[in-house]
Amino acid sequence: MDPVTHEEWTRRLRGLLILVSILFSILLLRLFHLQIATFAVYHRESEENRITHKTVRAPRGRIVDRNGEVLARNRASYTIFLISSTRKRNAEAVSALEKAIDDNITYSRKRSPTVRLKRDVDFRSVCIVEEGLSPDWPLQIEIEPQRDYPMGSLAAHVIGYMGQMQKDDLAIPRAKPYAAGDYIGRTGIEKVWEANLRGDDGLSYVEVDALGRRISDESPLPKGERPAVPGQELKLTLDLNVQRAAESALPDTLSGSVVALDARNGAVLAMVSKPSFDPNVFVSYQAQEERRRFVNGESQPMLNRAIRGLYPPGSTLKMIAAVAALEAGLTDTLSTFEACAGSLRVGDTVFHCFNRDGHGELNLLEATEASCNIYFNHLAQVLGVEAWRESAEKFGFGQVTGIHLAPGEKAGLLPSRQWYNEKRGGWRGGHLMNLVIGQGDMLATPLQMARYVAALGNGGFLVTPHLYGPAPLPRLIDGVSPATLDIVKRGMHRVVYGEHGTGHSVRIAGIDIAGKSGTAQVPNSNDDAWFVAFAPYDDPEIAVAAVVEGGGGGGAVAAPVVRRVLEAYFAGRPVSKRPVSRTADDAAPGPLAESGGT
Amino acid sequence: MRLAREFDLLLLVAVSALVLLGVTVIYSAASESDLWQNQAAYGVIALLVAGAMIYVPDKLFYNLAYPLYALGLLLLVAVLVWGAGEPARWLSLGPGSRLRLQPSEFAKVATIMALARHLGDCSVSRVKTVRSVLIALVITVIPMSLVVKQPDLGTAVSFGAVLLPMLYWAGMRGHHIFFITAPMLSVVFSFEPVWKDHAPVVFAIFIILSSVVVQLLLSRLWVTLGMLAVNLSAGLISVYLWLDFLLAYQKARILTFLDPERDALGAGWNIIQSKIAIGSGGLTGKGFLQGTQTKYKWLPAAHTDFIFSVIGEELGFAGAVIVLALFLLVIWRALNIGATANSRFGSLLAIGLAFMLTFHVFVNVGMTIGVMPVTGLPLPFLSYGGSSLVTNCVALGLLLHMYTHRHDF
Repeated sequence: MDPVTHEEWTRRLRGLLILVSILFSILLLRLFHLQIATFAVYHRESEENRITHKTVRAPRGRIVDRNGEVLARNRASYTIFLISSTRKRNAEAVSALEKAIDDNITYSRKRSPTVRLKRDVDFRSVCIVEEGLSPDWPLQIEIEPQRDYPMGSLAAHVIGYMGQMQKDDLAIPRAKPYAAGDYIGRTGIEKVWEANLRGDDGLSYVEVDALGRRISDESPLPKGERPAVPGQELKLTLDLNVQRAAESALPDTLSGSVVALDARNGAVLAMVSKPSFDPNVFVSYQAQEERRRFVNGESQPMLNRAIRGLYPPGSTLKMIAAVAALEAGLTDTLSTFEACAGSLRVGDTVFHCFNRDGHGELNLLEATEASCNIYFNHLAQVLGVEAWRESAEKFGFGQVTGIHLAPGEKAGLLPSRQWYNEKRGGWRGGHLMNLVIGQGDMLATPLQMARYVAALGNGGFLVTPHLYGPAPLPRLIDGVSPATLDIVKRGMHRVVYGEHGTGHSVRIAGIDIAGKSGTAQVPNSNDDAWFVAFAPYDDPEIAVAAVVEGGGGGGAVAAPVVRRVLEAYFAGRPVSKRPVSRTADDAAPGPLAESGGT
Repeated sequence: MRLAREFDLLLLVAVSALVLLGVTVIYSAASESDLWQNQAAYGVIALLVAGAMIYVPDKLFYNLAYPLYALGLLLLVAVLVWGAGEPARWLSLGPGSRLRLQPSEFAKVATIMALARHLGDCSVSRVKTVRSVLIALVITVIPMSLVVKQPDLGTAVSFGAVLLPMLYWAGMRGHHIFFITAPMLSVVFSFEPVWKDHAPVVFAIFIILSSVVVQLLLSRLWVTLGMLAVNLSAGLISVYLWLDFLLAYQKARILTFLDPERDALGAGWNIIQSKIAIGSGGLTGKGFLQGTQTKYKWLPAAHTDFIFSVIGEELGFAGAVIVLALFLLVIWRALNIGATANSRFGSLLAIGLAFMLTFHVFVNVGMTIGVMPVTGLPLPFLSYGGSSLVTNCVALGLLLHMYTHRHDF
């Protein structure tokens, strides 16, 4: 050895030993910190690795009609999940899957135990994942309930559609917890009844390996589990037999709406808006294109015309003036005005009757039957706008009906003198001439029309249209006497059965019907065809309003639609043999004696 | 009888215990395969080789030091040309052969032998000359740079890690060692990802403090200024290296080491899962074959790089401490053998081997518990892998040999 002191080597050896000891102490201290001091943290993380909690999807409540026919239900669908692993493994697994099922997949790369890759895949994809791909890929098939509408587009606007929760939606506080990707009602009943339809998701625990493969069938945490509570079933007031008849009477190629109410309590029996959409495509992953077509459709299939479509109601509104005039004592069943010569000059405007040759001298019943504009123009001149408007207001025009549906209904427009002063640069007498025949700036929804005709038929009760639950109490309209209503109803009866009636084509054997046609002029477009009716005449059960956009004559186009609805409603009823003549002066043939059309 | 008396039984028993434990834990970590049988076979052969090395003539290792070093360099060049694996670190022995050799493991021991011979040939006074230090540096840097080329940063650094203790043991002054290490510290203190925005401040404080200390200790202005210049350039070069030289995956490893959650699904996954495995082991562990992190595959490379995590999970703090104690025992024996060896060569060789072990244990275990970056250095005697096991047992053989022959002059 070199001539260095023994002490020096001992010192150096000790130095090296100290260095080694320091390094080992670092390891020991760190181990102590991990395994003893913060054991609980890592124990929990290891348990969270091993035990994964699974959300057990609660099925959504079904939606059925009044007879229990199913409109919305759930079916089992297969979802491919990615079990989170390293990014490299995730990417490899997804590209292997993409290749196998020949499809592009976009997925969230955030760190979460499982990521939905593809929902509602077909059985072929399920087989590929389960059998075709290596079991080492972190892929998994789960069965999830998927909303299903077995009737397709039937009553689509009532049911509404569902959409996936987006990030922004999650910030909104709601009655039940939601996760991104959950479906939530966007419109219709699916939206307004969301909190009850949605079930309470359950929780279960399973032991898994890093690939998400289940290790054992036994639950590692049985106490923490929670069963899924299905959502509540909702029974609608709809009668699908009536709904189907109404929808088939108004094909998808047409635009328009039909509303049928229970005339006694306002329960909605049918609500149709055409063109319609298929709510299934909104919960489908394969129907992006169809969804776009519905949403961007030129004829606005997504619009619920029954509550949001605003139309001039045309002659169907004439009973408002009749009620007002009768209540004011300005007319009765016998008195007549100046003969209808086919036109009338008011100020510097000439108003025409649809019958350019003129109806001659008519009383109220005859004028209603023949839908004579000139008669009602004369009536309006003595009535005045205030009295007319008050009457319209009583029957719910210009106000929402109170139906619970989303998006919400429109109130329509019941213009006043003041409104004309503000919006049209002043009131002129000619405005009332238009309003009284449901033209001009008057706008109403088909639902408002149905409620109005129900009130005429049921003895003056204004009902609240509703789709589910107990019926809100109908409100008796003030200042409309039974005698007045009786006269108006008789007029409407003559529309259907009178010699000159415009609503002959609504007739059904054995059912006594009262109605009124309307042919509303629309600027720059064909006339809208209207028909409103209630039946049976004596004790009305059903009130119907139908409008066909650009359909032309109400009696010819809309009345047959209403007839189909009534046929469906009264199908199977014993045919009444009772004569239908109302009064001595009512010379119209009964419903059993069929006569020609308008 | 003489051999029985002269045998370092404690060292052999400690290493055998580690190998046996390794085989057992590999059985747990890769239970569906027969890897543990391979490792057991390698272990028996390697331990027999180690025992046999006691009987090799004493001068042979000294004489073979340079030829083996040259062979090591050749193999390292060969692996750059014909290497297998990704990144290429292995040489296949014959086409399609399952036997693979990792030359960097072999070169490690050969380099320590060459360093021991070079430094041993110099007297204590000559060791302090610039020339002999430079030669020692060259001996280290050649295999180091070949390994960096593979690229295998962890193994490359392990070449350098043995140089300093060996220089110290060869007789170099403590503050000279500091001069050599100061530039490395400069690298650390100027490393932007560690210190974030404070890097310039931290680096400045280090430069000023070290200069003041050196000036006070030695009172030679030119030494202080020289060191200052070297430190400054080292710091600046490291900035350049970080920006332009290191590969993306090497940078990622370092960054992920500093903050595993930064990339929880990518590079950070291993560290996070390893820490969970070890931490959840608690005091006594989850029990043999009961580690959920291990058997449910959360832990990557459980039978190789992260075998210590399996020990920590299944055997707990107690098992981990026993393993560390066994290593400490082996290292303590190696240092003692170094202190009592019959030659400067043997003495330096033992110190070099002791620190090779220390470095591997510290870096590997440190990696599993998040105090060192993920480098891919195996845990000696425990990690699955023939090359590593055989190399470490050769080191054991050298130590046993020197213990037995410590009185032969």
